[in-house]
Amino acid sequence: MLVLIKTFLQMLHDNWVWRKQTWELAKIDLVKTYRGAALGWIWLFVKPAVYIGVYYFTFAVGMRTAAPINHMPFLLWMAVGIFPWFFMGDMIGGGGSDVYHRYSFLVNRIRFPLSVISTFFTLSKMLVLVGTMLFTIIMCLILKIKLTIHLIQLPLVFALMMYFWTMWSIWLSPLSAISRDFSKLIGTLSTPFFWLSGVLFDLKALPHVGRIIMYFNPVAWGCVAMRDCFIFHKWIWHSHHEFICYLFICVVVTVLAMHSYARLHKEVPDVL
Amino acid sequence: MSSRPKTGAKLSVKARAMRAATTENERVSWAGEGEAKVIRDNDKNNPIAVRFSNVYKTYYLYKNDKQRLLGTFTNKIDHKVINATDNLSFTINRGDSLALLGLNGAGKSTALKMITGVCYPTRGTIEVHGRISALLELSAGFDGNLTGRENLEMRCQLWGFTRDETEALIPQMHEFSELGDYMEQPIRTYSSGMKARLGFAFASSINPDILVIDEALSVGDKRFRKKCEERVKDIMAKDNLTVLFVTHSPEQALQFCTRGIVLQHGSSVFEGDIEGACQYYDEH
Repeated sequence: MLVLIKTFLQMLHDNWVWRKQTWELAKIDLVKTYRGAALGWIWLFVKPAVYIGVYYFTFAVGMRTAAPINHMPFLLWMAVGIFPWFFMGDMIGGGGSDVYHRYSFLVNRIRFPLSVISTFFTLSKMLVLVGTMLFTIIMCLILKIKLTIHLIQLPLVFALMMYFWTMWSIWLSPLSAISRDFSKLIGTLSTPFFWLSGVLFDLKALPHVGRIIMYFNPVAWGCVAMRDCFIFHKWIWHSHHEFICYLFICVVVTVLAMHSYARLHKEVPDVL
Repeated sequence: MSSRPKTGAKLSVKARAMRAATTENERVSWAGEGEAKVIRDNDKNNPIAVRFSNVYKTYYLYKNDKQRLLGTFTNKIDHKVINATDNLSFTINRGDSLALLGLNGAGKSTALKMITGVCYPTRGTIEVHGRISALLELSAGFDGNLTGRENLEMRCQLWGFTRDETEALIPQMHEFSELGDYMEQPIRTYSSGMKARLGFAFASSINPDILVIDEALSVGDKRFRKKCEERVKDIMAKDNLTVLFVTHSPEQALQFCTRGIVLQHGSSVFEGDIEGACQYYDEH
C-alpha cells in the first residue's frame, strides 16, 4: 500500500516538474500523427466526417431508425457519441495502451519519466477531442440547434476522461512493452468496446443486468456524459449511480496503474 | 518502488540462481538482493563526477516474450540470470576524460545507460553529479519521423532551454553537423553518419557537465572525427567538462582521453592512465 502511495506521489511530482514539456510533446505528437500526409490537418476532419456519414447512412437510410432523440437531431446524438469514441478507441487500440513502443527513444535513450509519456500522449488525443467538440458546438450554433447551460460541464467531462485514460495508459503500457501479445490482446478489445458500449445505441435498451454492468464501463460513461451535455441536458452527477461507479473505476484503475508501474517501470528500458 | 520479486517467492529464485552460479559459472553472483541506490544531482562543483560502488546489473533472460510476460506474474517461469555489470566500481573525477574500453558484451553500454539514468542498477550505488548529455548508440534520443530541426527543437525543450535560447543554438548545431538541406528531412532518411553528426552537434552544444559518447565517432569520416575531437578538447578546456568515451578501438581513445578503464565481463580489470589501459586492452 505504501509503495502505491509513494509511486502515486512520485508520479504527480514528475508530471508537475515536466508540465511544460508535456504540453510541447503533446503538440509534437499531433504533428507526428498527421506528418507525411499532403493534406495534413484536413485528415483531422475527414476521418470523423466519413465515419459519421457511413453510420448515418446505415441508420437513416438502411435501417430507418434515425428519429430525433429527446427532440434533438439524430445526427447530433450520433456525433457526440462517436467523437469521444475516437478518443477512447485511440486509447484502447490506437497506441494509448502501448505508448512505450511509440516513444521508445524517450524510454531508452533519454532519461525521461515514463508516466509523463502516457500523460502527453493522452493529452494529444484529448486535444483532438476538444477540437471536434468545439467544431460540433460551432455547427450547432450555425444550424440554430438548441444548446443549454449544461455545456459548461464539458471541461469537467474532459478532465475526468483525461484522468481515467491516462491511468489506463500507465497501467497497460508497461505490460505491452514487455509482451507484444498483450498489446495485440488490448487492440482486439477495441471493436467489442465500440459495439457493446452504447456508442451507437441507447443503453436504456439493455436489460437491467446489462445496464448495471455498463455502469462500470468507462467507454459507456464517456458517451453518456457527452450526451448528457448535448442531448439530454442533464448534469452528469445527476445520474448518481453512473457517476459514482465511474469515480470508483477511476480509483480502481489508479491502483492497478500504480501497481503495474511500481513493479515494472525499471524493467521496461531493459526489454524494449 | 521495486521490480524485484515478492518476498515469499524471492528465496526460490535466489536458490535457483545460486545453484546455477555454483554449477555453471562461479563468477555469476546473485545480484537480485540488496539495495540499489542512485544519487543524482546537478552539483557541478562536486570534485567527483561519477562514482560506481559495487554495482550489479542483472538481466533476466526468458525464452520468449510470452514467458517474460508470465514471469512478471509468477516466479515459476524458467529463466537465465546474467550479470551485464558485475561488481563494478570506479570513480570519475571532475574534468577527467575517461575511456571505457572493452570488447563487445563487456558491459560498456550497460554502464553508460546506468550513468545517463535510462536504466537502473540491480544492486550497488551510483552517484552522478552534474547534467549529462549523451549519445547512446548513435542516437541522442531522436524521433525518426520528425525532421532534424524538429528533433533539435524537441531535445532543447527537454533539456530545459527557452524558445529564445533554442533559436540561438539551432543554427550553430546545423552548421556544425554539416547537414545542409537534410536538416528539414525526417531523421529516418538519415544515414548512420548523418545521425551521429547531428547527435554530436546537439550533445556537445548544450553545455553539459558530463558528455557521454558511445561509438558515435566510429561512423563519421576522419575529417569529421577530427572536428569532433577539437570540439571536445575545446569545451573541456573551457568548462571543466567531464568526458566519458566508449569504444573498442584504443586508437581513438588515445586521441583525447587521459584515463582509461578496461571492462571485461561486466567488471573493471584495469584502471589507470590511458596508455596503460590501451596496452592492457591490446594484450588481453
